[in-house]
Amino acid sequence: MHTTTLAMNTSLLMIFALLIFPLLTSLSPTPLHKTWAVTHVKTAVKMAFLVSLLPLFIFLNEGAETIISTWHWMNTLVFDINLSFKFDHYSIIFTPIALYVTWSILEFAFWYMHADPNINRFFKYLLLFLIAMITLVTANNMFQLFIGWEGVGIMSFLLIGWWYGRADANTAALQAVIYNRVGDIGLILSMAWFMMNTNSWEIHQMFINSQNLDLTLPLMGLILAATGKSAQFGLHPWLPSAMEGPTPVSALLHSSTMVVAGIFLLIRLHPLMENNQMALTTCLCLGALTTLFTATCALTQNDIKKIVAFSTSSQLGLMMVTIGLNQPQLAFLHICTHAFFKAMLFLCSGSIIHSLNNEQDIRKMGGMHNLAPLTSSCLTIGSLALTGTPFLAGFFSKDAIIEAMNTSHLNAWALVLTLLATSFTAVYSLRVVFFVSMGFPRFNTSSPINENNPLIINPLKRLAWGSIIAGLLITLNLLPSKTPIMTMPPLLKLSALLVSILGLLLALELASLTSKTFKALPNLPLHSFSNMLGFYPSIIHRLTPKLNLILGQKIATQMVDQTWFEKIGPKGVSSINLPMIITTNDVQKGMIKTYLTLFFLTLIMALFISII
Amino acid sequence: MAAVGFRNWARALSKGKGPAFSALLSQVRAASGPSKAMLPGPYPKTPEERAAAAKKYNMTVDEYEPMPDNGEGYGDYPKLPDRSQHERDPWYSWDHPDLRRNWGEPIHWDFDMYIRNRVDTSPSPVDWNTMCKRLFGFIGFMMLMFYFGEKFPSYQPVAPKQYPYKDLYLERGGDPGKQPEEVKHFEI
Amino acid sequence: MTFLGRVVGILRAGTQLQRRGPLKTVTRKAGGGPHIEPQYRQYPQLTKNQKFQAEFISSAMWFWILWHCWHDPDAVMGHFPWPDASAWTDEELGIPADEE
Repeated sequence: MHTTTLAMNTSLLMIFALLIFPLLTSLSPTPLHKTWAVTHVKTAVKMAFLVSLLPLFIFLNEGAETIISTWHWMNTLVFDINLSFKFDHYSIIFTPIALYVTWSILEFAFWYMHADPNINRFFKYLLLFLIAMITLVTANNMFQLFIGWEGVGIMSFLLIGWWYGRADANTAALQAVIYNRVGDIGLILSMAWFMMNTNSWEIHQMFINSQNLDLTLPLMGLILAATGKSAQFGLHPWLPSAMEGPTPVSALLHSSTMVVAGIFLLIRLHPLMENNQMALTTCLCLGALTTLFTATCALTQNDIKKIVAFSTSSQLGLMMVTIGLNQPQLAFLHICTHAFFKAMLFLCSGSIIHSLNNEQDIRKMGGMHNLAPLTSSCLTIGSLALTGTPFLAGFFSKDAIIEAMNTSHLNAWALVLTLLATSFTAVYSLRVVFFVSMGFPRFNTSSPINENNPLIINPLKRLAWGSIIAGLLITLNLLPSKTPIMTMPPLLKLSALLVSILGLLLALELASLTSKTFKALPNLPLHSFSNMLGFYPSIIHRLTPKLNLILGQKIATQMVDQTWFEKIGPKGVSSINLPMIITTNDVQKGMIKTYLTLFFLTLIMALFISII
Repeated sequence: MAAVGFRNWARALSKGKGPAFSALLSQVRAASGPSKAMLPGPYPKTPEERAAAAKKYNMTVDEYEPMPDNGEGYGDYPKLPDRSQHERDPWYSWDHPDLRRNWGEPIHWDFDMYIRNRVDTSPSPVDWNTMCKRLFGFIGFMMLMFYFGEKFPSYQPVAPKQYPYKDLYLERGGDPGKQPEEVKHFEI
Repeated sequence: MTFLGRVVGILRAGTQLQRRGPLKTVTRKAGGGPHIEPQYRQYPQLTKNQKFQAEFISSAMWFWILWHCWHDPDAVMGHFPWPDASAWTDEELGIPADEE
């Protein structure tokens, strides 16, 4: 019989069952045991990862993909919503990666959050997030995808605001949820459009039914959705603010899984976009602008987590560029490799921050290579992989993307910006490594540095191996859906490497300047532009709410009263009556001329009427 | 309750008596909005009234500056500087640290706008006009360059695909009786 | 000698800590691993295992990179050479010689 399909479907359902089981245990009225987080959540995620390897191997062996769409969820007279899961190569590959990264992060989080009284709730949130993410990835129905989409959004809000006693964390959580809502409007509008015009939310039916329609409008909605979720330029400031949350949250949500949901949406719906040049160009330009802008912001930040966050945003911009190049598979490849090393970079920074008594400023670190060798080695590996060092994970996706850009017919400025951003990647990566690992310690004299804990070492090692070999493994096993161009001039082939090396040299030059004494320079305009995040948050976060709130206040408390009680009421009556009163008054002042004029006027009118 | 209100209305209208009507109004007010004691008083005109109003709002006479009397119903409410709570000293021991506010301190008319999650007015290293000019200049420059990039795209020069048999003339459904015109992909 | 020096260093750190009064021991119950006292103005003691792990993972990375650079340089340098059009002769291209 169809053993392949059976095995795949069973294991998919088993993944869901395994992940939901701990949630069910948390519903029991007896308080959870202190180690519930580890015994239930972590084990469940680990188990789910192992189970998810089965469909992966079947896929690698036979290329099997399945769609389950047998359950009617609800139906109205004209519209059906099914529960339908899709097990194609995107979800088959991404699910194990997400589970693997989550498993490592959960283990790390148990160490990082061990002093938190609500650690069980924290793990429950992370688990809920993971379930939502997997729902999103495996959905073959827009409604199901939307549930996952909103699920990750709300868990992101709750987790950023985890330390709700701090106003900054609350502000950051609000920012995240509001920016995401702006994106959601785009998604909802597109879904409504598809409901109207293709009469289905099943993704493959949408593809078939929209063959001859002009899709520019819904695609713009989808791009808006991706802009919100994946922190593209315009809706990006929430991502660096989200670093107010605990580090495991940043590692899981805001680098490797949740923020790629927007890109994933565009990859999933790529057949709609393929022939729409307008949408593709928008993606390309938006992505290029994002990748450069956020890389520029990353250059001068001093908070280690902010740098990593901006680099995430920059990589998301690169993925958007790839979507704009009509190469969704490359974007997906970059999502997969990026998950490993970005999660690891965050775990390293978490370990360092914890070691230095919650110090996040890289200027106050230094010398970690001698103090926490493993963490610092992993930080270096992650940075190298991010920069695109040959044969580490980042290389296989980043180099392919830059090559595809070089050989495509595309907007020249987008190409320039992307190359510039690639070299900036090398600059800020080296800056982090230089300030954190090299040199001499600049932190407080007594710091509880101890990385000898299996809960730190194991996840780091696991992700480090992933960052080293995952790129090659995925590239070897994933058949490209579009023919890659294999031959090109050496300059184009090497351009990714060349710009990275250029950036590295520049950064080394800058680093060597730090050991010399110079006259203090006044703040350069470019420095303040980069350091203040391009002034974007300062302007937009002050102007927009101020205008809205002032206007709202004015309308609610003054304008309404003044309009209804005064302008329309007494004042309106008086202003209508006054001119009439004045005219009537003027006529009756006893002037003989006025009376004569009126007399002749009526006479003439009477004559006219009688003539007619 | 509604019936009672309606009867009051009717009585007030039929009798046309002033006090009854105003009593009715105050009744309606009390049902929803703040009480009379909580609303700002009339606009202070004499120095004595100003002093009394300042005392009412826990302010000194020098600090006290009423909102302009332009018929918007501000009354004697003090006009406070437009400063956000976020701008205040984070290290001072405020009575309400989350709002950075002391007990009995006069509240800004737009206080809800200036709480720490919302509009921030703290001074920035670069002044507002420069910031706006640079940001919008940057975005404008990028848009301009994207426009130029679109006009002058970057691509690898490649020739169109070339096929044998006169660009597959017969295979593409050409007329076998007619001699196809020669296809040239080069110029000398 | 270095070992002796380190022991002396640790001892000195220890005496300094003792002189400073009661030690605030931070108990971490979040798993195994050796417990290391926070040091005052001293490098923390590192375990051998930790150093080994760090060097192992770094050398594994370099091995991976160099091994592939040796066996698979095409991935970086390009699989197929780009034809150099300027090196083609007129004869190869079948272009007749310019008429004088």
